[in-house]
Amino acid sequence: MGMVPEESNVYTELSAWDNLIFTAQLYRVLANQRNTRARELLETFGLWEYRTVKVENFSKGMRRRLTIAMAIIHRPSLLFLDEPVPGLDAQSARAIREMIRQLNAAGTTVFLTTHDIEEANQLCDRVAIINHGQITAIDTPERLKAAFRQVQSVEVALDPGGRFDRDALGAFSGVTQVIKAGDKWRLYTEDPSSLVHQIVRFAEENGMRVIYLNTLGPSLEDVFLKITGQEMGTVRHENNERGTRRAKMGGRQ
Amino acid sequence: MIRSIRLQRLRDEMAQAWAVTIKDMRVYYLQPPMIMFGLILPFFLFFSFSIKRDVGAEVGIARLLAMTTFFTASSAGPVIIPMERRMGTYDRLMAAPMSLATLLIAQTLVGAFFAFVASAVPLLVGLVWLHVTISNAVLLLAGLLLASLAFSAFGLVFGSIPVQSVGSIMMPSTLIRWPLLFISGIFIPLSEMAPWARALSYLSPLTYAQDVINHAVLGAGYLNRWLDLGVLVVLLIVFLIPAARLHQRSRVLGY
Repeated sequence: MGMVPEESNVYTELSAWDNLIFTAQLYRVLANQRNTRARELLETFGLWEYRTVKVENFSKGMRRRLTIAMAIIHRPSLLFLDEPVPGLDAQSARAIREMIRQLNAAGTTVFLTTHDIEEANQLCDRVAIINHGQITAIDTPERLKAAFRQVQSVEVALDPGGRFDRDALGAFSGVTQVIKAGDKWRLYTEDPSSLVHQIVRFAEENGMRVIYLNTLGPSLEDVFLKITGQEMGTVRHENNERGTRRAKMGGRQ
Repeated sequence: MIRSIRLQRLRDEMAQAWAVTIKDMRVYYLQPPMIMFGLILPFFLFFSFSIKRDVGAEVGIARLLAMTTFFTASSAGPVIIPMERRMGTYDRLMAAPMSLATLLIAQTLVGAFFAFVASAVPLLVGLVWLHVTISNAVLLLAGLLLASLAFSAFGLVFGSIPVQSVGSIMMPSTLIRWPLLFISGIFIPLSEMAPWARALSYLSPLTYAQDVINHAVLGAGYLNRWLDLGVLVVLLIVFLIPAARLHQRSRVLGY
């Protein structure tokens, strides 16, 4: 079993190489395999040229990569990852996601805990949503989405937008919720087809031009919010709320 | 077959203990609390209680050796473990396929090693500058080794208290270590103590370390040298028990 905690728990006074060798010793990697494995991981994670540098001089992304390398030095069949990429630069985040995919493809079961629902959607084969310490849903992302048809939506932008307000949109038949998303409006409904017709008719009757119209299936985030009882769209604005509710995404990627 | 598996397991655990020991030596030897409480403090104490007093070089060096061993060895646990907890690296050790006993032995070895190295400084000063003669070098080596291990295990008891801050541990550790220093036979020889004070001094682990060092350096002590060594061995084991229990408690509490 390998573990990657939320905080990168590496020995900052040691070099990347020494951190890896120490972990290999802890996990009883055979002495004649330690160096080869450490080199292989440092090269894979793009840290080979920094192998002798003390980790206190590493960036957050480099420390994260080293933490993951340390967790898999003994080739675990089960890997726990707690929030592997938040706060990292795009390059490091992408490299880590790709590494997670490769590990899974090579046969490692990855158990990923994350608040980033889109990350779980992209990486996980199965997702468990935990609310107040209890698993409230567990299935594949697509099956979870399919179980929540009422969170389908239509995104629309009309010109001129000033005459198109929340009240007017909420009056459309079948609309359960209206959220402003940038210069667009997102209307949740169980019947997107009927809603699209209503919107087009509304635009024609009021001399408005449809400049953007898109129907959306439920996202995993919508499912999460529905399950945890939060109002759609609140997560984007209420960061504190994210701290109290935690989505746990697990299973084979 | 089972015996061979057990032997392999033992070899693995010993290798892991050694790996943790080496890592701790490399990471923590220059940490400020280690330098302050482990290396500088014994010298300050020595000068405070020796200058202007009629203390011979041999007696002075014997005292300094005992104090250095005591403070250095017992400082490692209270410094290293809370720091590891705060950095999250302790979770790495606890999650590794390694028994708690192995981890505690490794931590004990680290403190003992620091103490052994630190005590070499006053010893060299005594031998080279003050021309101190050692009465029994083998006994001195054995005494310093056992005292280092016992005091390191003593420090480990404090280090096992479930907190993440070095400061939180330093207070209880200081409150207990200082009285143990003053009731021991370091500043007042056991032979000159009142009977009640001598009885009290037997409660301090430092008493036995000082006595065996006196045997080794001065050629004479108050207690039997074998009794001193035996008590230090017993104390080493005795201190590891509460350390293990506190560690298990820390685990339950999530530290």
